[in-house]
Amino acid sequence: MATTIGHVDEVTLGGAEVHADTRSFVRKYVFSTDHKIIGIQFLIMSLIFLLLGGVLAMVIRWQLGFPKQPMPLGGVLPETMAPGGVVLPEFYNSLVTMHGTFMVFFAIMPLLVGVFGNYLIPLKIGAPDMAFPRINMASFWIAVPAGFLMLAGFFVEGGHAAAGWTSYAPLSERSDLSGVSMGQILWCISLIVLGLSSILGSFNYITTIINMRAPGMWWFRLPLSIWSLFVTAILVLLAMPILSGAIIMLLFDQTIGTHFFGPAQGGQPLLWQHLFWFFGHPEVYILILPAMGMASDIIANGARKPVFGYTSMVLAILGIGVLGWGVWGHHMFMSGMNPTLGTSFMISTMLIAVPSAIKVFNWLGTMWMGNIRFHVPMLHAIAFVSMFTIGGLSGIFMAATPVDIYIHDTYFIVAHLHYVLFGGSLFAIFAAVTFWYPKMFGRMMSPFWGRVHFFLTFIFYNLVFFPMHNLGLHGHMRRIYDPTQYDFLKPVQPINELISISAFLLFATQLIFATNFIVSWFKGAKAPENPWEDNGLEWTVPSPPPHGNFVSVPHVYRAPYEYSSPFVTEDFLPQNRELPEGVPSAAPHS
Amino acid sequence: MAHAGALHDEDVMLPPPGREPGAGVYNEKLGMWVFLGSEVMFFTALIGTYIILRVAHPTAWKAPGVVLAVPITAINTFLLICSSVTMVKAFASVQDGNLSGLRKWLIATVLIGSTFVGVQVYEYRHLIEKGFVPSEGLYGSTFYTMTGFHGFHVTIGVICLIFVTWRAFQGRYSAKDYRGVEVIGLYWHFVDLVWIILFTIVYLI
Amino acid sequence: MEDVKHAHPNYIAVFIALAVLTGLELFVAFLPWSQMTRILILIGLALWKALMVALYYMHLRFEPQRLRWLAAAPLPLAVILVFIVTREFRW
Repeated sequence: MATTIGHVDEVTLGGAEVHADTRSFVRKYVFSTDHKIIGIQFLIMSLIFLLLGGVLAMVIRWQLGFPKQPMPLGGVLPETMAPGGVVLPEFYNSLVTMHGTFMVFFAIMPLLVGVFGNYLIPLKIGAPDMAFPRINMASFWIAVPAGFLMLAGFFVEGGHAAAGWTSYAPLSERSDLSGVSMGQILWCISLIVLGLSSILGSFNYITTIINMRAPGMWWFRLPLSIWSLFVTAILVLLAMPILSGAIIMLLFDQTIGTHFFGPAQGGQPLLWQHLFWFFGHPEVYILILPAMGMASDIIANGARKPVFGYTSMVLAILGIGVLGWGVWGHHMFMSGMNPTLGTSFMISTMLIAVPSAIKVFNWLGTMWMGNIRFHVPMLHAIAFVSMFTIGGLSGIFMAATPVDIYIHDTYFIVAHLHYVLFGGSLFAIFAAVTFWYPKMFGRMMSPFWGRVHFFLTFIFYNLVFFPMHNLGLHGHMRRIYDPTQYDFLKPVQPINELISISAFLLFATQLIFATNFIVSWFKGAKAPENPWEDNGLEWTVPSPPPHGNFVSVPHVYRAPYEYSSPFVTEDFLPQNRELPEGVPSAAPHS
Repeated sequence: MAHAGALHDEDVMLPPPGREPGAGVYNEKLGMWVFLGSEVMFFTALIGTYIILRVAHPTAWKAPGVVLAVPITAINTFLLICSSVTMVKAFASVQDGNLSGLRKWLIATVLIGSTFVGVQVYEYRHLIEKGFVPSEGLYGSTFYTMTGFHGFHVTIGVICLIFVTWRAFQGRYSAKDYRGVEVIGLYWHFVDLVWIILFTIVYLI
Repeated sequence: MEDVKHAHPNYIAVFIALAVLTGLELFVAFLPWSQMTRILILIGLALWKALMVALYYMHLRFEPQRLRWLAAAPLPLAVILVFIVTREFRW
């Protein structure tokens, strides 16, 4: 007997999958257990936080480009933040902290893992839903209060957390030093709650991918987006609890007087750094691996060619997942840590560049001699490869400890992190949103405005972040309120102005994307089942797919990227298409 | 614990049918083991911190038994191990189709588990009265955080066990479907396992 | 239901072993030996107990090999974290 919940026959695993859906509006769209709806819920929440993070960045750039000048519209801010529209130094510290916190935890991570993990995994492996749909729903509805808690910090006395997104102790636990108490506590509680949401999601994804692949979907036939989401979920599962533990200890130091990180009674500030970065480094791979995986899918599609070196791509993902645990100390070269540890971290960090480099070469190899379609997702994916490469190359500089002594905590680091997070992750997100939008909403986004958005973003983005390399090498430090207070920085202040103006234009350009996204939802051209002529299983079902995804369990016959196959007339060959007897299911190639 | 649906003759104690071979066990069991991986890392953060701080600053700790009450905690440890036995007997009962045995052993597990928590709370009150509080240096900080979060996990376990026991009384488990019993059992044994480590390194070292 | 085709393991025997090991730990903890010796023995005993709970009560002894690898997977990470960071405070 099928178990029932409410009015709906829960989707079954072995036989018929799609069922009529007679649930109420609330059960269908608000408290939904359908991975597709949950993915879209995460999408809306994350895009809002992406916008908020961007707004914070604009205020930061105003202060840096035009220090101590009253900001346009600054009058709306209260006296505690920006009296007369001039940003206060204390508020500035909160701004940089919250920009990082919002972007990392509430925008990029949920966009990559919460949105695309949820949406793509069951569809691309041929499953009707996740292994634990109700836990999936809980994961989203736990993230929502975490978001509210994080927003609440702006409204409490003392202001929001102001110790950086890395919240180093003892500053983060000494309200007498930072001036912030409730804000820092809310930051801690919010992230503990969000951590629970992430962990619930991660074990769901892992179980689903291990146990629910459709027949024929062997491990080495999984699309790279799924491989990367799988390894990412493992990183989330194992790294987030470390952060939760560390934050709990920080919270206890702040509230009940424990002494984990405060030196007065034997606590160790460096312990915070080790715990935070033991989480923090896998976290940055969490922020890039799904982007890499989805870029692989999109580049193969755009180039109409299989991904070059699929096996080495999988090994590279696994390699990054494993090696990523051994490099965390490279965030601490200047902390005063044990120098021997410093040397070992330098070596391991240089090693981890290798799998990423392999991936870059393989993306190039995929495009080489391809019959390239420059659709909007492909444009963003190509930008992803090139911008991520720049970010990766600057990473090599800082991997070398002697060099990092000079560039640590300067704008060189800010340039690096934005090249990998914006140039890398965010361009991949733009690519992925545009690519899977038709499947999610049954409509196409406007290709024209997509191209306008892409080109303007690409130009302004480089104008914002490339000069930061130069600023950093000049000695411009991070998180600084007023660069002009130092004589040696006065000559480069025009660069700060250029960056700020470009940043305002970059932000304005994103309104094009936002408008395209919203308007297309209602007025976009109706999307066919497979607008991109892609091979993935999700493109074999209607746009959007019904509850339960597949009418019957798909059977998979081949690898995921059989484009331009000699055995069919079309230049694509879906994974579940059965070919006539005698015809090989795929062309022989590595 | 219900799952995403079952067909008529499908054996829910096996991996999902008609799928590529995965871990070789049904989803809920795999899911619990994966989740326990995250719990291992969580306790690593807390216990690891204790080890690290103690290596860094050994004089902040007293010898075993000076501050903490080893005898009563040893009995409590023994009790928790007993509750693991009652839990596994409950599991074995339902595997054999012995539903009254299942109910009996589950109740025993709930009772012993609750007793464990009760004794811990009693111990905390006693220690706090003596002046040993969380702000009492590194010793207090690490002791209360580690044992406190362990106790929190035991409490969650007891609540889940009560839920499972209630369902057992509703006749939801049988020799053909005892997933909920097995899964809560895994969690409960894990909590016992963590205590085995904690008792040794917190009370005896 | 392949995992029940074997007879139940002797849960009581495991329980007795656990009780005995616990008693042994209590004994060793208060012996007048060097701290390092006591620590090593106690940790060894604790790990042995933990292993028995994992193998017999949590049934890992009878589960597919893949599940056993999965269960063991986080342990090296835990060791790396604790070992490396103690090097921070003991050069």
